[in-house]
Order: sequence, then structure tokens, then C-alpha cells
Amino acid sequence: MKNALEKFLKIDRRLIFLALTVLLFAPIVKPLGLPNKNLGKDVVNIYNYIENMPERSFVMLSLDYDPATRPELHPQAVAVVKHALRRNLRVGIFTLNAGATGMIEDIAARIPKDIAPDKVYGRDYVIMPFQPHPVAVMTQMGINIYEIYDKDRNGNPTRDMEVMKGIKSVKDMGLGICITGTAMLDYYVAYLADKNKFPMAGGVTAVSQPGYGPYLQTGQLKGLIGGMKGAADYESLINDVEKGTSGIDALSLAHVLVIVLILTSNIIMLVLKYL
Amino acid sequence: MEFLANLWNSFAGLFTVTPGWMTFGGWVAAGLTICLFSFLYKDNPFFKVAEHLYLGVGMGWLFQVYLFQTWKPKVYAPLMEGQFSVLIPTLLGLSLVTQFFPRISWISRYGFTFIMGYGSGLVIPMEISTNFLRQIGGSISPFIGATGPWDLFNGALVAFGFICVLFYFFFSVEHKGAVKKASNIGIYFLMLYFGAAFGNTVMGRFSLLYGRFDDLYKYSDASYFYATHVVLGLLVAYFVLDKLVLSKKNGGQEPAH
Repeated sequence: MKNALEKFLKIDRRLIFLALTVLLFAPIVKPLGLPNKNLGKDVVNIYNYIENMPERSFVMLSLDYDPATRPELHPQAVAVVKHALRRNLRVGIFTLNAGATGMIEDIAARIPKDIAPDKVYGRDYVIMPFQPHPVAVMTQMGINIYEIYDKDRNGNPTRDMEVMKGIKSVKDMGLGICITGTAMLDYYVAYLADKNKFPMAGGVTAVSQPGYGPYLQTGQLKGLIGGMKGAADYESLINDVEKGTSGIDALSLAHVLVIVLILTSNIIMLVLKYL
Repeated sequence: MEFLANLWNSFAGLFTVTPGWMTFGGWVAAGLTICLFSFLYKDNPFFKVAEHLYLGVGMGWLFQVYLFQTWKPKVYAPLMEGQFSVLIPTLLGLSLVTQFFPRISWISRYGFTFIMGYGSGLVIPMEISTNFLRQIGGSISPFIGATGPWDLFNGALVAFGFICVLFYFFFSVEHKGAVKKASNIGIYFLMLYFGAAFGNTVMGRFSLLYGRFDDLYKYSDASYFYATHVVLGLLVAYFVLDKLVLSKKNGGQEPAH
């Protein structure tokens, strides 16, 4: 008995990888449809904020993530774009991360297809080009946005666009949301939101989510979408099932495996120590 | 620059996205993902190739983004329009490159001086305001704006934890008596934070893994000519063959990794 238990504690780690692979892969092949019943309060806050914005308000969406964090952050971005366009808000997509341009291409291609086919580029939404040196860009966005973004990503002048009507700086915008896997949201809070009294919200990876608690408590962030769970919550709120929701099955199963392994190993350790 | 842009456009034209290229892209994505995951079994040449490709492709992507989305519109285009003032930041930026040439590396100090001065002036006031004063205010405000007993308890708990953690990091007083007790309670608050952060990290990593598996499933489709199955099969065959060859060479003993 003791030998068997000791053997279990020295199990080949590759078997755990295999078990994890099976548990994560199985729901992709055959979705289980496990419910997502606990919606995060901070996600609901962003949803409510957007719901209460007057029509044609401007939402600045800064997508600052690259392929490495795509599974967590891309569903968040898609859900927020869908919600804002459905609410008939104007959306400006920005990026200060060179690796994000490919992800933005995907959203740009999807808006006329399935996200919001009735919306018109230049009237309802605009996509700005990548800009380096985030802090300098943010500082300028608080003064005169056209000093930096005088042209969109296709080289068209932005001043004349209907979507930019009445917008001179972020002070004329209704809300800013930064979705990022880096510290970009911290910069936005410090250099744009606090400085210009600009309402800011964020979407971040699950890893960095707990670190933003202080900003939420002080109201420096109006809300926060954290990881794939946050994306799933947002999809539930807008009644639109996408990658975030489908990932919940896999995450739930994988978490069960981790809990079972932690409990089993601890029980075995106790048994070996005291019995 | 115009010549480079034209050259790039002609080159990029060869890669206009067609169904054939999408399939090829699927094979590359599935192949590289599986090659990188193969490290979980053991180190192998396919993992090394994928690892180096990742670095190379990443650098290439960043280079072209900076060249065409920064240098062209922010330096080349204004210069062509006669705005020579952009030469000042451009030269300051270029001065940083002299770091690679020891004899003239002193020139880079001008660029760095500007970065240091500009950066400090921008960062220090903002940090004091955003991450210091506002956070102290945030620890007090729950008491002022409390709407019920639960809010008050929540605020008191946060403030209590905040003070205890500060005691843990306060080294100018010997940790004994009441200070030691407060410091020990601070450790529990820190452990709670680390536990929550680690739980979130696990969830985040699983999400990333799920994302790759989701793509692998997509590429296992007939429209991609079963890219995932084929690459996985080839890699398994390699490992089996490797094991057999190793068994013959070392009498069944694998070299230590």
C-alpha cells in the first residue's frame, strides 16, 4: 500500500500532460455546454456602462495584445466591438502594440461579415494605424488626437470622417477600453484616464487580473474583463456565444483535474506521514 | 523608401490570401504548434527549429511594422514635404544605434539624456498621483462612501490588510511584539493574494493551451488535408524511430536531458 502511494507521487509528469490534453481537447470535439452562472461584477460594470452611454458616443478601443495572448483577449475584443456597434456607438480601434496589427485585421475583416454588417467604415467605426512610444501617444491624445492620428490605417485623412465628428481629444470621447496582455492598461490609467478625467476600462489576461484590484476600488477603472472567463461573461451578457463561452467547458474540466490532483497528492502525503 | 515600399508591395502581392495559402498557413501553424509542444515529451530538433523560427519571424514582423507604419509616415513622408524639424528626433533616435560602435558610442548619450529627462518628467508626477496618492485615498474612501455594514466591513478589511502588509515591509523597526503580530498577519494577506494570483495564472495558461488546441482541431479538418493528424503522426514516427535507434546505440539507455 505504502509503495503504491509513493509510486503515485512519483508519477511521470507526461501522464499529467496527456490527461490535461484529453480534458482540454474533448470539449472542443464534443461541447458539453457547461453553464457559466457566475458573471464577474467588474465585467457587468463595463457592460452597464456601455448600455447607459448615449447613442453615437465615441468608444476608444485600444487593442494592445499579440498572438501570444490571443485565446484570452481576442474573444474579449470581439465581444466589446459587437456590443458597442449594436448599441449604435461610434468605435475607434487603436493599437500601441506592433504585434496587434494582425489581430485587428481579423476584426476589420469580420465587422462587415458577421459582427455588424450594417455599419459603415468611416461613419460608424475607424481603425487607426499602429503608433510606437505609448506614453507620448497617450499624452498627445489628451491634447489633440489629430497630431498623432491624422490618417487612418489606410492613409485616409481622419479629420473629415463622420465617425470623428466632434472629437478633438479623449475628453470628447465617452469611454476608453484597453485590451492588453502587457502593462499598457497601467499607462492608460496614469497618462490618459487620471490626467484627463477620462473614463477607462480594461480587458486583461487572467494572470494580471488580480493586480488591477486597486484601480477598480478607487474607480480609476470603470470595469475589468479578466481572461477567457471574462470574455465568456461578456458573451453571456450580449447573448452571443463565441470562443470565450466554448472555452468554459475545457477550463472547467481542466480545473477539476487540478483540484483532484492537488487533493489526492495532499491526502497521500498525509497518509504517508501519519499512518 | 518609396522603392522599398514598392518592392515590398510587389513581394506581398505574391502572397495575396487565396484558399491555397490558407491551407498552407494551416499546415505551418499546426506543424509549428506540435513541434513546440513536442518538448513536453523531450527535447528534439523539431522543437529547436520551431523555437528559432518563432524568434526570427517575430523580429521580421516587428521590423516591417516599424518600417512602414512609423519610419515611412513619421520620418520619410514629412521630410519629403519639407518638414525638416523631424530630423531632430530622428537624429536623437539614430544616436542610440552608435552603442554598437565603441569608438563613437559616446554619441548615444545625447539620445539617452533626452529619454531620461523626458521620461522622468513624465513618469514621476503621474506615478505619485496615480499609484501613490490615489491608492492611499482608495484605502480611506470605502469608509466615507460605505452604503451598508458589508461595505464598511469590506473597507475595514482592506485597510487592515494594507496596514499589516506595510508593517511586513517596514524594516526600520525590529519585528517583535505588536509589530511582529501585525507583520505576521500581513504575511497571510500576501499569501491570499499570491494564491488568487496563482489560481488566475493556472486559468490563464489553460486558456492559452485551449486556444492552441482549438486551432489544431480546426487544422485537422479535411479542408486543411488533415494537417494536424499528419504532422502529429510524423512526429510520433520520429520519436519511435529515435527510441529504436537509441536503444541499439545505448543498450536501451536514453541520454540524460
